[in-house]
Amino acid sequence: MADVLDINDVGDIDVEEEGDQSVSRLKDKVVKRKGRGFGGGESRQHEKVRAYESVDHGDGDDPGPQKSVEGWILFVTSVHEEATEDDLNEKFSEFGQIKNISINLDRRTGFLKGYALIEFGSYEEAAAAREALNGSTLLGQPVGVDWCFVKGAKKSKRKSRRH
Amino acid sequence: MSADFYIRYYVGHKGKFGHEFLEFEFRPDGKLRYANNSNYKNDTMIRKEVYVHNCVMDELKRIIVDSEIMQEDDALWPPSDRIGRQELEIVINDEHISFATSKTGSLVDVSQSKDPDGLRCFYYLVQDLKCLVFSLIGMHFKIKPI
Repeated sequence: MADVLDINDVGDIDVEEEGDQSVSRLKDKVVKRKGRGFGGGESRQHEKVRAYESVDHGDGDDPGPQKSVEGWILFVTSVHEEATEDDLNEKFSEFGQIKNISINLDRRTGFLKGYALIEFGSYEEAAAAREALNGSTLLGQPVGVDWCFVKGAKKSKRKSRRH
Repeated sequence: MSADFYIRYYVGHKGKFGHEFLEFEFRPDGKLRYANNSNYKNDTMIRKEVYVHNCVMDELKRIIVDSEIMQEDDALWPPSDRIGRQELEIVINDEHISFATSKTGSLVDVSQSKDPDGLRCFYYLVQDLKCLVFSLIGMHFKIKPI
């Protein structure tokens, strides 16, 4: 029976820094709880995951855009559900060669889910595209264009926690 | 702009290749953590983390809210078994869900369950979330998750 889930030998997720506190604080505020995950007998299946790899931040710790392994990635939102990769390519390639593009479908409808990731090789190309295309229209619908990754935690932490 | 929220998804089982699992979470400060462990062919654990921009958190929140998962309940879903376990935990506004169920093989399993509508909602949301996470992790780290 070695392959039966053994839920007693796994510790809780690693305790670390303030990130955990913000999660537990969020959970404390809750008034409605639902689901078997809260139940006594069955505990969560966390492994102790200690060292997560990340891409080196470089210098400075302001939460500005974060470079990815091979380039700079933009996150595009409010993409029309019938837009195509060509539509996006056409729009963004004006600012440089697109190194990679990822568009996902809504698994239920088969139409676009509404977001896309677009990667440029240089910071300048990505920044120019972001500047010029945020709020521009694609198939008659205004799209949002911003950085996908940032160097650190969200700045508005304290403000957004109390409302 | 958007209220803080938290989401964690886990799928895994223990078998002859050890505890094989995939887990990701988005913390309120924008930290995405991803872990994928398999001992198959001596594979080692993949652990990645990166901070996503606010716009990604907003999109994620939109996907969750649109899915209406917060209105569902896992009471009638198939319990986890030796085949495996899935967990979905979301804290949003003043609600906290922590659902647990078995692995979902296909939509046929979903339709034949006691709560097909609820389980279908869960099934599609999980797929949409995985797609988003795989795109984020895959493109940022230049790896092919799974």
